[in-house]
Amino acid sequence: MRVLRDLFKDYRFALSFLVLWFLLIMAVLSAFSPYDPLIWFHGPPNLKPSVTYFLGTSAKGQDIFWQATYAVRNSLIISVIAGAVSRVFAVLVGMIAGYRGRGTDRVLMFFTDTLLVMPLFLIIVMLALLVRERMTLVNLGLLLAFFGWAWDARVIRSQILSLREREFTKTAVLSGTGTLKLVLKEYLPFATPLIFSTLINNMAWAIGMEMTLAILGLTDINIPTLGTMLHWAISKQALFLGQWNWLLTPVVLSVLLFIALYWLSVSISEYLDPRTRVQRVGGK
Amino acid sequence: MWRANKCMALVVAIALLVPMVGFAQLADLPRSETLIVSILTGRSVPADDFNEWVGWKWRDRGMQNLANEPLWSVDFATGEIINGLAAGDPVYDSNFFHLEIPLRQGVAWADGEPFTADDVVFTVETLMAHEGFNAHNFFLDNVELVYKIDDYTVGFDLKQANSRFHTTFLDRWGCTWIMPKHIFESVDDPVTFKFNPFVGCGAYKLHSYEPAGAWTVWERREDWDKSPTGILYGMPAPKYVVFQHFANEGAEIVSLLTHQVDAADLSSEGLKAALAQGKTIRAYQPGFPWVVNNDPAITGLTFNTAKAPYDSADVRWALLLAIDIVEYVAQAVGATGTLSPVHIPSLGSYPDNFIRPMEAWLEDFTLDLGNGETFKPYDTDRVDGVVDYATSAGYIVSGDIEAAFGLGWYKHAPDAATKLLEKSGFSKNADGEWLLPDGTKWTIEVLGRTDVNHLQSVNALAAVQQWKQFGIDAVYVGSDAFDTLTQNGDFDVSGTWPGYEPWGAGPDLYRTLDYYNSAYVQPVGTLTQGHHSRWTSDAMDTVLEDLRNTDPADAAATIALGIEGLKIAVTEMPGIPTFGYIGNVAWDEYYWTNWPGLENPYMQPYTHWGPMKYFLPSLEATGN
Amino acid sequence: MAFVKRYLIPRLISYILVIFLGITAVFFIPRFTPSDPVHRTIAQLMSRGTYLDPASMEAMVEDLQELYGLEGSLLQQYGAFWKRTFTGDFGVSFFQFPTPVSELIRTALPWTAGLLLWTTMLSWVFGNIVGALAGYFSRSRWSKALDTLAMVVRPLPYYIFAFALLILFAFVVRWFPIAGGTAIGRLPAFTWTYIWDVLWHAFLPALSLVVLGGAIWFQTMKLIVQNVNAEDFVQYAKLGGVREGRIVSRYIMRNAMLPQITGLALSLGQILSGALITEIVFSYPGVGTLLFNAITSGDYNLIMGITALSILGVTTAILVIDLLYPLFDPRVRFR
Repeated sequence: MRVLRDLFKDYRFALSFLVLWFLLIMAVLSAFSPYDPLIWFHGPPNLKPSVTYFLGTSAKGQDIFWQATYAVRNSLIISVIAGAVSRVFAVLVGMIAGYRGRGTDRVLMFFTDTLLVMPLFLIIVMLALLVRERMTLVNLGLLLAFFGWAWDARVIRSQILSLREREFTKTAVLSGTGTLKLVLKEYLPFATPLIFSTLINNMAWAIGMEMTLAILGLTDINIPTLGTMLHWAISKQALFLGQWNWLLTPVVLSVLLFIALYWLSVSISEYLDPRTRVQRVGGK
Repeated sequence: MWRANKCMALVVAIALLVPMVGFAQLADLPRSETLIVSILTGRSVPADDFNEWVGWKWRDRGMQNLANEPLWSVDFATGEIINGLAAGDPVYDSNFFHLEIPLRQGVAWADGEPFTADDVVFTVETLMAHEGFNAHNFFLDNVELVYKIDDYTVGFDLKQANSRFHTTFLDRWGCTWIMPKHIFESVDDPVTFKFNPFVGCGAYKLHSYEPAGAWTVWERREDWDKSPTGILYGMPAPKYVVFQHFANEGAEIVSLLTHQVDAADLSSEGLKAALAQGKTIRAYQPGFPWVVNNDPAITGLTFNTAKAPYDSADVRWALLLAIDIVEYVAQAVGATGTLSPVHIPSLGSYPDNFIRPMEAWLEDFTLDLGNGETFKPYDTDRVDGVVDYATSAGYIVSGDIEAAFGLGWYKHAPDAATKLLEKSGFSKNADGEWLLPDGTKWTIEVLGRTDVNHLQSVNALAAVQQWKQFGIDAVYVGSDAFDTLTQNGDFDVSGTWPGYEPWGAGPDLYRTLDYYNSAYVQPVGTLTQGHHSRWTSDAMDTVLEDLRNTDPADAAATIALGIEGLKIAVTEMPGIPTFGYIGNVAWDEYYWTNWPGLENPYMQPYTHWGPMKYFLPSLEATGN
Repeated sequence: MAFVKRYLIPRLISYILVIFLGITAVFFIPRFTPSDPVHRTIAQLMSRGTYLDPASMEAMVEDLQELYGLEGSLLQQYGAFWKRTFTGDFGVSFFQFPTPVSELIRTALPWTAGLLLWTTMLSWVFGNIVGALAGYFSRSRWSKALDTLAMVVRPLPYYIFAFALLILFAFVVRWFPIAGGTAIGRLPAFTWTYIWDVLWHAFLPALSLVVLGGAIWFQTMKLIVQNVNAEDFVQYAKLGGVREGRIVSRYIMRNAMLPQITGLALSLGQILSGALITEIVFSYPGVGTLLFNAITSGDYNLIMGITALSILGVTTAILVIDLLYPLFDPRVRFR
């Protein structure tokens, strides 16, 4: 509890906590939606926001609010899968390669580099063509995870490389500290802020990539996500027909989602980093 | 403070300077004498290659629609044939093994050389001599000998009887074009030759093009009166014509609103947006439904008849009856489509020549629902339903309702559809979901494109909604591999046109029906040469055989056989015809007026079709 | 000499292996997608109005397969591919037959390189410098204001952001052009008019890329610098009275640069495929659209040509960075 109390002293944490709760509640609300998100014209098209239709309706005659609840849920699922799975790879590969060096490093970096130099976008587009209708949320998340770890593994590795050269490593090794303990105790605290920032970058990248793919029509456009909502609004010229409610809903939601994630990561990593915590919390 | 002030002053100065310098959309071209048109098919890459006989060369950047003249063009607004480089119809002998084509006199290529029969003979001989030309195999298969009879007459001896051989020179969005012999004869390899600068017989010559293919500029010839366009219609009004590429529709709309483009082909919503925002923007029709609805292609759905259960005509008809066409056309295109119950669109002469004469038969057409029950599906009230929907949506419907919305379609009859399916062994589970005869859940993948505004996607999306309501698990699949998947038969139902386009709305349906020829069907997994439904019937083969032996100039006989073919297609329903192709054409009247709109349809209205060149003489500059 | 034997040679071997493996993957993946280039060509010609007699289609398929070099087994094609590639020949494009792939790339590449090379560099330099300063003075008001700005701008969907710029500066106030790389009718020439014209058309695309790209670098750099700032040696330096400018440039920047330089190398490598949305929004010429069309039409040779260039570029960049590491961080020695 003390942890949370300390964290809540940071207004950024408090705010992002609230926003995330709001988005999570929206995602959960999708389970109570009165409409099937795949059915069109359950209401009249192109309505402005009203009491019946909280955010109005789209040109497809769908209630934008309920559609948005699905979109938030699905985009969260994609980004969480992509972020979490790729973090496991990135941290493992980055730490092992950075600490072990030599042959291990070379082999791991060989695979990382191969993945990195592949023009990612092209491969994803080709794979999207290959899997066609099987582009489910989980598959899309895993696909993005598979291509999302290599860069961060390299970033983490270079951090470890530089840590390894420092005095405390040598002291620790000389005093007989085991590898695992050394990595967990000495390196992880230093690397945690970096891992968090890469996680946020990665989740943002996943959301952004999903949007790009969706705007190009390469994901399953039946499934509502922030990207596919945008795809439909753009394709149906919502901007020029004055349907701001339709166009702005996914944009505002994605901005909110990202800011919440960003603040959360910044405040948590500051809290986890022993040095800045002392400054902020006052060394309790 | 002093430094801050200085900074501010600099910013203000730049902000003031920027609009003063401004930018010019056109470099050294007078806007009031220039017509700017958006390219339909995309960025012309490579931009310096005009050899349109090989591969795809972005012909609608001004080649086929401006600088090229074909032997004949078809004006789909009237169904009439326009003689371009030809002086009249081809003359076949009685068994269709020989034909002669009379050519127009007094025509010169853009570089001044006269056009003669030598050019035509040279073109055909060159195409036959080199692999790599698109039409290489066609001419090898068909032509025994091509020869010059005199300077303005060409003769062909054919290898097999072919009463439609000349249609390869008939421009309906492309044809076999004539090469200038004096340029091509000195070329080593005519396949890789770039043909830059382009030289045609049209009234315009190449002015300049952007190396990355964003725009192409054409300039009116000094001797425009030596082109068929000039001879037939007079001097084209614009001195320059620009074809510009836009990579997204939003930019196209903004360009229309700021008078930076004069004509564009948009999506349904795009046209609505342009009309709502621009004071000088007009559509083809002055009022609702605005759109160009006399394009000679029929849209709809195609079944993969090589795949169960779509190999059964009962299942196909059941899926048709599950569609409420009023809702369908409202959802798909905002009720702007012209319904057609048969596999050709309801436009031009088609209602009078084909659909009306078929109405008695359509009214009588009966489906066997099993258990001794029967059902007559045809219904002329469906058109009123569409009109009612449009009225209730706040649109003012006036003018010729039959021309705008069609003559009739089929009833929305879920009960009859249920009986048809049950007759074939299908059943429903407790949740109201349809099961296949083997008891597994019935899932239909409806294939469309990634561009959801493409009419193939629009049809597929609307069908998904209808079939979902009927209790079938229908899923939309938008794929960039649409063409390969449909050609190879890797789909259930697709948004492919249910019938191929005839030659630009002429009375001869041979081209449409020939795609159902059983000789063209290839097994699933390989490219089929005929219609992607892979449907054939002996009765259709017989009709085709008869058509081949009929002179296309004999309209009565051709139409009668066409009706026979359409009846077979309706009975078997290999694909569902819904509404005719819709062109969402927007014109800006700020610089140019007298566009060929519905109130004055003197020529087909598209800027990407060949006869665009024939309406340019009628455009009027506003002087802005 | 130990350096060459123990570091340089293995590093060069892995450099070559990575290129080989990458190109091999790109050779095979498109051949498993459902798009068949011959079928696409035929569908393309037909849907765009070329009448192909159904009866002569079979012969045409065979002709095209031969012309495209798609005869024989996959392995035979693979062998033939390497043989050609070593002579620097990527073959002809299928979709734009018979234009050589190299020619298509040559036309499109200057636009992409011109726009993306310097916007990538600019947003990197700009984002890092401002980010470092904001990280160092993280308690100042302007730092917080910039942080908020970056935070709001960065998650905007790029398409929306770019399109908003277009609407704002080409429609609401008509300062910049709506579409294209040059004015209509302006031909390439080494004149001020032409250069000015190109810059004018490139301004909005560049702005959209620099702002969004810069925001990302800004945020990462700020976080890193805040971290380094808290480290002991920086604190000692401060206590020891070292000038602040020197602390930022010598102590902090140098330590924070490592991951950022790696990032730059990688983002330079993604240039070739990264510009698609920019090209779509601003109707700007470039490699992005070329590549996207190549993928959807199954134009293997063109995919290969662009990808091989991209792979070569990014691997080389990484190699160079690896070799230059010790210059930036003297603590890392070659092992």
